[in-house]
Amino acid sequence: MSIFIEQIINGIIIGSMYALIGSGIALIYGTMRVLNLAHGEFYMLGGYIVFFLVVTYAVPAYLAIPIAILAIFLLGLLVQRLTIAYLLPREEWAFATIAATLGLSIFLQNLALLLFGEQFQSIPYYLSGVVEIAGLRLPQQRLLMLVVAIVTIAIMTFVLAKTRFGWALRATSQDKDAAAVVGIPAARIYTLTFGIAAALGCVAAAMLAPIYAVNPWMGLPVLFKGFVVVILGGLGSFPGAIVGGILLGIVEAVGVQVTSSEWRDVIAFGLMILVIWVRPWGLFGKPQ
Amino acid sequence: MFKPLTLQSYLGVLALVAVALLLPLFVTDSYVLHLLILSIIFAMFASAWNLVTGFAGLKTFGHHAFFGIGAYASALIGINLGLSPWLTIWIAALIAALAGLFIGTPILRIRSMPHVAIVTLAFAEIVRITISNLKGITRGELGLWGIPAFEGFSLPLVGEVVFNQSVKVWYYYLALFLLLISMGLVALMMRSKVGLAVVAMRDGEDAAESLGINLARYKLLVFGVSAFLVGLAGGFYAHYVGILTPMAAVGPDLIILVIAMVLVGGLGTLSGPIVGAFVLTFLGESLRVLDDYRLLIYGGLIILSIMFMPRGLATIGTLFRRRPADVRAD
Repeated sequence: MSIFIEQIINGIIIGSMYALIGSGIALIYGTMRVLNLAHGEFYMLGGYIVFFLVVTYAVPAYLAIPIAILAIFLLGLLVQRLTIAYLLPREEWAFATIAATLGLSIFLQNLALLLFGEQFQSIPYYLSGVVEIAGLRLPQQRLLMLVVAIVTIAIMTFVLAKTRFGWALRATSQDKDAAAVVGIPAARIYTLTFGIAAALGCVAAAMLAPIYAVNPWMGLPVLFKGFVVVILGGLGSFPGAIVGGILLGIVEAVGVQVTSSEWRDVIAFGLMILVIWVRPWGLFGKPQ
Repeated sequence: MFKPLTLQSYLGVLALVAVALLLPLFVTDSYVLHLLILSIIFAMFASAWNLVTGFAGLKTFGHHAFFGIGAYASALIGINLGLSPWLTIWIAALIAALAGLFIGTPILRIRSMPHVAIVTLAFAEIVRITISNLKGITRGELGLWGIPAFEGFSLPLVGEVVFNQSVKVWYYYLALFLLLISMGLVALMMRSKVGLAVVAMRDGEDAAESLGINLARYKLLVFGVSAFLVGLAGGFYAHYVGILTPMAAVGPDLIILVIAMVLVGGLGTLSGPIVGAFVLTFLGESLRVLDDYRLLIYGGLIILSIMFMPRGLATIGTLFRRRPADVRAD
């Protein structure tokens, strides 16, 4: 029984990481209605930056992770400026942006393969101890992941709810033209949102990299997880993505107990297709 | 696309078919023939994807599922039931079409493009993972081999028709035959009332529906036909290469390649996917020395075509025409 509870707790912890990935995808979709297929690649590049800083240059993790997040944030700004911003005014922008980000994803993945090689790199745990709570053994690393996720989500919630940038972002996502009338520069909001979403992916990468290895292909499975999360929570909804992420983590943990780990992704995708069938607007969204 | 066909366009198509039929007289190199056959397989795949995405506007990213289903179904039926590939490729195509209808149904209810993209991608991943996990049937990542080859026969005037890896000519003709069937089907469909309805649906769902177009029926029809053609291409591929692995037959690389081909050739045109398939297959091979860069280049090509060449290579010719009004005729 306690193994079962441990699995559920692990599911919640992994789920909180899915939530970070999904909330990035949701933010981008919520503001500019773009489905970002390159989101996994920000995660992958974030993982590599942390790896090089921590392992190759022996930078302490508490410094390396913020540097990586900043770098990926800037990369996100750059990518949005150079591709999405040009495509958005087009008539067929919805498909153009999906296809362009798909191309970008393949491009970055293979660039990483060329530059960094195909070997799987590992990052040591940031914390190595184990905590015992009520007979449950939890590695400190996993607790750290949970704490980081909670702090990140809290910061994001605060930014969205209480800051002028958050108001502008929400105004733009509700009605771009009305927002422009009151002087909100939609183009700048879009660029910033893209950067922030990429940075959220990097936070997840920094925390997951010690558990899963860093490699050029690590972005794709995570992108798929992110998609499941946003579908569960309702595409474009930030709180939906958080709940969806944790829910997915739990479902996977239980599902793997019942079947086996090689069917994990099938469970996730099956759940998603089921949700689309029954409630296309997501478990927590409202029908349009 | 709905312009009346002129004598010129009939002659143009006839000339192309004639060139394709005579090509093996000049190309005897088995490797070049192999590339031509691969190009044809991809041309079938790309035109079928274009039918759904370019013409009907249902942006799917999971068509490699149908390729894999067609390939594995045809191979497995051939191996386990001992049926001839001449029969199994059609059965496999029907199975792929059924799968297409199955995944097409939830898509009918969703109008949001991202949802369609995600569902189809996820469906293809489910198919790939299932094929690689069912090791007892498919041998998983080890690869399925021992796939029967097409039986030869003898034709009057022509002589023996044989299918083996050293004599590729007949594979080429069979592939060409399948491509002509697929293209004929796509062209007929698009030039009929169905085509009008489908394009109307793409350009304005609500407007099309208000004119009495049954959206659900047309979407399912297009999805089923497209899945059938991709499954057929997959079935032929299985018996041609003789070995299948989940990554090669259902891997995401496949759909990326096809998307690159269609975008480079021209999305929503009849000739675009074929042009793109031949250009990218031969380009890919000429860059063989740069093998590691291949996917990098495809990724870059997708970005560049979308950004700077939204109507693809197939429409570049129209830039040099005298009447620019024709450019948007399709």
